[in-house]
Amino acid sequence: MIITFALVFLALLALLVLIRLAKGRAFPARSGQASLAQVHPVDIQAFRNLTDPAEEEFLRQNLPPAEFKKVQRERLRAAVDYISCAAANAAILVRVGESARRSPVPEVAEAGEKLVDSAIRLRIYAFQALAKLYVAILFPAAQISPAGLAENYERMTRVVFLLGRLRHSTGPASSAS
Amino acid sequence: MSLHVLVSDYLLVAPHLLLVGVLILLVQKGLRRLFPLFFAYTLWELGQFTVALVMLLSPAVTGKQYGIAYSIGLAISTILRFGVIHEIFAHAFGRYHAVSSYGKPAFRWITVGLLALTLSLALYTGGNHFDGVMVLVHLLDRAAAITQCGLLLALFAFASYLGLSLRSHVFGIALGLGVFATVELATAALRSQLGYVGNTTLNYITMATYHVCVVIWLVYLWAPERSTQYAVKGIPEHDLEAWNKELQRLIQQ
Repeated sequence: MIITFALVFLALLALLVLIRLAKGRAFPARSGQASLAQVHPVDIQAFRNLTDPAEEEFLRQNLPPAEFKKVQRERLRAAVDYISCAAANAAILVRVGESARRSPVPEVAEAGEKLVDSAIRLRIYAFQALAKLYVAILFPAAQISPAGLAENYERMTRVVFLLGRLRHSTGPASSAS
Repeated sequence: MSLHVLVSDYLLVAPHLLLVGVLILLVQKGLRRLFPLFFAYTLWELGQFTVALVMLLSPAVTGKQYGIAYSIGLAISTILRFGVIHEIFAHAFGRYHAVSSYGKPAFRWITVGLLALTLSLALYTGGNHFDGVMVLVHLLDRAAAITQCGLLLALFAFASYLGLSLRSHVFGIALGLGVFATVELATAALRSQLGYVGNTTLNYITMATYHVCVVIWLVYLWAPERSTQYAVKGIPEHDLEAWNKELQRLIQQ
């Protein structure tokens, strides 16, 4: 009986989610222009320092265990904030890239395609890295290295730079597509 | 004619009449080639309804015969619905390279997880008030409902998290199927628990949901494909500068 009620409850919850999704699609709240203004710069170096195994090892050797755990947790929480910010940027850039993908200018469309691809990869990496970081917050003695995320973020910023240049070099008519 | 009979007849016939409209739209808009499994599913549902109606009206057909035909029809419908979900996945994620490489294994594991969950649920909650064959039918129905519901929710969650824009037709088909799968999950769970008690009410709920689901398909297939347009007129200058500074800083590292 409990399982039945649990399934019914979950089904109704899922139905509500679907209704909300449909409503959100019918009345989109955000435009791309407004979203673009929400892109915040992310300091990759600071993030690297926070997740640098050498720094972690240095702290481990020079701090008492209890102090190390406390400091490490704070560093990891900060790293979570950095990743969340980078992931939020990536979500916006997916939409920007989608828009660029539809450009009649092949270079812009190609850059848009690359941007979408990089941004999606970053979202996927961010999901994995956040999961790792939350586990590490619970067990600060464990070692983590979300280095792939930093590399991917770098790649994505390069693509955005290229896209921006292409848009400006092809003029406003093509960039409005 | 009582209101009860009127509602029952309406819910039995109306969705299938609307389904003819769905079929016409699929052919008219050339979507038949894009969604062959959804087209096949629509055709099957119409064929199944016609056969069921003939069997119901024919005095020569016994209840057992109808039950067998119903079970076979339900099984094929369920298989086709899985096919439609696969088709939705292909359309939703096929144009994203990154999702293709990461999404496929993820969804394979989600499917395995959902199947393991349904299997353990079937083993844990076996008995109810139905007879032998119908127990199996309802358990399989519930298992399919859980898997389909889980897969569609995973699809929406994945697309939402990654910020992917699903095309209107794909979204509409998925939404209709999702609504049906969620209600089917609730009713299948109740049916496998309650047996024949409240079966009529649950049938009404299922039929009414199916009606809603067909209306969703009809509306989304009828409406012109809306590709999400954002008012991006180039990346603003100050943003470009910020990115430039970020890149310069990265190069100097």
